[in-house]
Amino acid sequence: MPVRAGIGLRSAHHEALPRELPEVGWIEAHTENYFHAGGPGIRVLERARESYPLSLHGVGLGLGSADPIDMEHLDRIRDAVRRFEPALVSEHACWGHVDGEHFNDLLPLPHTEEAVEHLASRVRQVQDFLGRQVLVENLSSYVAFAGSRLSEGDFLAAVVERSGCGLLLDVNNAYVNAHNLGLDVDAFFAALPVPAVQEIHLAGHSRRRIGEHELLIDDHGSAVPDAVWALYRSALRRFGPVPTLIEWDTAVPALEVLVAEARRADAIREQIDAAT
Amino acid sequence: MPRPDAGTSLLELQRSFARTIRAAALASDDDATFAGPGAVPVSERLAVYRNNAWQFFQNALALTYPVLKRRVGDDYFRQLAHEYRIAHPSRRGDLHWVGESFPAWLEQRLAQTEYAWLADLARLEWACEVVATTQTEQHADIAALSALDPVTLDRAVLHLQPALQLVESSWPLWSVWQANQAQHEAMAIDLGSGPENCAVAGVDDGVTVYRLTAVDFSLLGSLQAGSSLAQAVSVAGAAPEALARLLGWAFAERLVVGVVSPSARA
Repeated sequence: MPVRAGIGLRSAHHEALPRELPEVGWIEAHTENYFHAGGPGIRVLERARESYPLSLHGVGLGLGSADPIDMEHLDRIRDAVRRFEPALVSEHACWGHVDGEHFNDLLPLPHTEEAVEHLASRVRQVQDFLGRQVLVENLSSYVAFAGSRLSEGDFLAAVVERSGCGLLLDVNNAYVNAHNLGLDVDAFFAALPVPAVQEIHLAGHSRRRIGEHELLIDDHGSAVPDAVWALYRSALRRFGPVPTLIEWDTAVPALEVLVAEARRADAIREQIDAAT
Repeated sequence: MPRPDAGTSLLELQRSFARTIRAAALASDDDATFAGPGAVPVSERLAVYRNNAWQFFQNALALTYPVLKRRVGDDYFRQLAHEYRIAHPSRRGDLHWVGESFPAWLEQRLAQTEYAWLADLARLEWACEVVATTQTEQHADIAALSALDPVTLDRAVLHLQPALQLVESSWPLWSVWQANQAQHEAMAIDLGSGPENCAVAGVDDGVTVYRLTAVDFSLLGSLQAGSSLAQAVSVAGAAPEALARLLGWAFAERLVVGVVSPSARA
């Protein structure tokens, strides 16, 4: 996978992207959008795949769910992986369903030994089934658990160690957690094993006012803010050049806006490269 | 040695979390499971997840049923979505399937009301969803028919596009669907203007909804079910000319993917 920045393939650009083929390093697609045998969306990705390397990013498996893993869902992930041959496959360090009910969201896990072992065992199961390594992404969270005994960084590092997975480092999520939960981002980065970080996400967030206070909401609906760009520089200094995605899923702007954000990420990477 | 599965505490934590997501009211700030930190109350933090789950469900349903939403308005659609979610919570990690049971649920929910026809509109929109996600096969040319022995032609069987969906309705379904497309201003349709049956098929990179006469609908349905040309005419009570016209249309619209001669079937 090239270290040059990539952009997400979203339905708003199904016409423009294959037509314009912008100069970006790669594209990302949400795995669940390509579970079907055919249809217009599938044909767009097939055409785009002829021009770009691909990262398939899952949002619905709920790896850390206490329910048994949804084998039908996993089957479809395997079909998509075989069909589109992505360079990277990723999921989230989250849970999403319990007692058969899905919430279709990325729900947080407590940072406990039990959750490490559970998540690592599920990652191993998925990797064995797919016959390849997957990357696990850090979440943005709005609530913490009284029972957590590990820092978020130590939690993810332990999952990497016990499962052999890689990491997808979402820098915006780290920023959101610093605001919402008091995460020490420097310590978080320091805890993550450098070779494991194989993809970075950059995105925007919104602010929700609650009385005198506010929560940051990870809505992927705006440009990458300056504070997240600053953390991105820190991440590149720690982890080296890593394929980086501009993630924009709601209120998706014109394709050239995404491409401009990708160019900015490339420019920062080149600056950091030149300085080290 | 079997790998350890989730322990009771993780399972119980997720069940507890799920209860707060499903709840109609804000969670308690005193639940010892959760921690702030800081000044934002735990109940407000959990409300983000509660709102997300509801919004994701509602948005997915609206994406599948845009015409129905436009026809009934945002408020009534939200009310229907809320009731539907209680009856049919999401059972898959892929939100595409959230609306699968919506037509059948609407049929029961709105039976004997003035809105009973909405169930048919939902069935049409779900048919569009199915077509949009099903592989289109290479179409056959009408020359494949003329190549058959004229003596046994009426026993030939057609294979139609696997994605083709047929939707029967007692209401002016196609007209309602057409009048509520997003690209133009919605128009009122007289619901007493008679039944309209529809076929839905994928052509190129789009989905097309056709209005069919009762005879054409019957012919196409029989052919889709595997009847021979002669059987289809018999079932529909149609004149041979009607079949010829339907076949010309079906080939032109690339709905036919194969022609099987009687000898091949034998």
